[in-house]
Amino acid sequence: MSNGSEPNQPATPSPVDSGSQALAEALRSSFAIVKLVMIVLLAVFLFSGFFTVGPQEKAIILRLGRPLGEGEKALLGAGPHWAWPYPIDEVVKIPITEIQKVTSTVGWYATTPQQELAGTEPPAGPSLNPAVDGYALTADGNIVHTRATLSYRIEDPIRYVFDFVTASNAVQDAVNNALLRTAAQFKVDDILTRDVIVFQDAVRKRVNQLVEAQKLGVIVEQFSVQSRAPRQLKQAFDNVITAGQNRDKILSEARSYENQTVSRAGADASARVNIAQSDRTLLVEAVAADAARFKGVRAQYEGNPNLFAQQHLVQTMGRVLTNVSEKIYLPDRADGKSRELRLLLNREPPKPKTEEVR
Amino acid sequence: MKRNLLTLVIGAVLVVIFALLLFVFQVRKSEVAVVTTFGKPTRPIVEPGPYFKWPWPIQKVYKFDQRIQTFEDKFTEDFTADNNNLLTMVYVGWRITEPNTFYQKFRGGSVALAESQLEGMLRSAKSGTVGRHSLSDFVNPDEKQLKFDAIEVEIKDLVQSQLQTNNCGVQIEFLGIKKLGLPDSVTQSVFDRMTKERELLSSRLQNEGEADAQNIRSTANRKAAELLASAEGQATRIRGEGEAKAAEFLPVFQQNPQLANFLLRLDALDQSLKERSTLIFDQRTPPFDLFQGFPTNRPNR
Repeated sequence: MSNGSEPNQPATPSPVDSGSQALAEALRSSFAIVKLVMIVLLAVFLFSGFFTVGPQEKAIILRLGRPLGEGEKALLGAGPHWAWPYPIDEVVKIPITEIQKVTSTVGWYATTPQQELAGTEPPAGPSLNPAVDGYALTADGNIVHTRATLSYRIEDPIRYVFDFVTASNAVQDAVNNALLRTAAQFKVDDILTRDVIVFQDAVRKRVNQLVEAQKLGVIVEQFSVQSRAPRQLKQAFDNVITAGQNRDKILSEARSYENQTVSRAGADASARVNIAQSDRTLLVEAVAADAARFKGVRAQYEGNPNLFAQQHLVQTMGRVLTNVSEKIYLPDRADGKSRELRLLLNREPPKPKTEEVR
Repeated sequence: MKRNLLTLVIGAVLVVIFALLLFVFQVRKSEVAVVTTFGKPTRPIVEPGPYFKWPWPIQKVYKFDQRIQTFEDKFTEDFTADNNNLLTMVYVGWRITEPNTFYQKFRGGSVALAESQLEGMLRSAKSGTVGRHSLSDFVNPDEKQLKFDAIEVEIKDLVQSQLQTNNCGVQIEFLGIKKLGLPDSVTQSVFDRMTKERELLSSRLQNEGEADAQNIRSTANRKAAELLASAEGQATRIRGEGEAKAAEFLPVFQQNPQLANFLLRLDALDQSLKERSTLIFDQRTPPFDLFQGFPTNRPNR
């Protein structure tokens, strides 16, 4: 501080001028305060250049308006960074991992959030007012309501921030357009029932095409489409669904009849074949047994046919008669005339036949 | 001496800063600018960075946002080539490309003015384009006949050429149809048609279902009959085989047909009198022929 002590030197020999000395003293101390303030200000100025980037965001430094670095290198990741204070540098922070959501309702009838929450819908008039109610025209010239919700993430922050005033509007319009364009190519039944997923995928594909073509710098994360028939035609559409269910019911009844009939026939068929097989075996066995017996008794018979016949007939009769429950012996009349016999048949009902084991 | 030097340096720095503030301006990445000299645009700037200019009464700088702005027009009704009323709404992404012409055209570069001009152009481009196409160009199940994209391009090209001939300094980046609609009264007739279609569909479903069910049932009956018939055939064949095999024993019996016959008759007798039966016989039936000649309770002759 040599310059500060300079005015003091002439003052020391003449203490008379104490007033001017006090003035000089005051000046010197205030000058020091000013200097201190300046240094502090400078420090604050430089220190204000520090900023931190959060984990959810990226930052770009614009030096004199131009981004510092090219492409990916211009993006600053999470952590502390330093830049010159404005007007030399400008820091632009961009949320990057945050999922943003847009909804397209150009194809939906007028409804309020309260009604949405309550799950109710406004009463349907006889027609749709184009100023109020949105809808899409289908390929077969029908009217259908459809809406979509899309969530996206920023992929190219530079493009997203520096090329669009409101990129989310552009994304939303891409969804609007995709819904209309895709609906114009699908028939009403495909959109509502037959090809719901195909329709949704087609819309999503179209959105991706538009995002690519317009270089919106975003990635589509989730996408869902909801479609429904006009409220005015609910009854008619429900009838078709009921008719479809009826058809399915009739068809499934017919199929179960088919199953039953065919499987029963299959069982019958194999039973018949089995019976035939066992019949064959029985027949062959029986004939073989008979043949064996024939061979056995032939010599005997040929020795004395009459005796053999008598013998066997009587044997058989004896056996048979033990089985016969009623035996009536009817001798000849004494005069040799034949008798007249009258029978009163009153038989018990036959016993139920037990299943024969074949 | 040192003090003088420091003051001088500080002073010089301040002068430089002041001069920079007066003579230099910066154009941000998202902006374009135009420098006017005595009110006349002289220098367009489209690249970001620092630039020199003369201080105020001589030159002035106007900066515009050069990013893409989206704009949508009104939902307007036009006639298609096949005399349908069709309402259309488009959205446009546009940006300022020539700041000096933009500045001149729209009195100091008013975006609102530019948008109203754009809307007028869109209005005429749309009615012209819609008038050249039929409704089936807008909606069609056949991708080849669907001219949705071509129509968008047509409108875009029309507006773009209009913007160029009118020297607006504006460029269309993209354009798409945002909304399609039919007049209120037409929707009602569409609903009537749709209702008819639905009824047709319901009855067709029902009839188809019944016919299919009938078909399934009769096919099932046929299959069952076929199964049984083939089983019957098989059974007959098997029995035939059995009989053929049994016939192989015939020579054995032929050695003595009388005996064979007798044995068969014996078996038949055995079989026929197995169950509960009543047998009435007289004295000629063996073995009861033994009773013959025995005295009975009646006086014998």
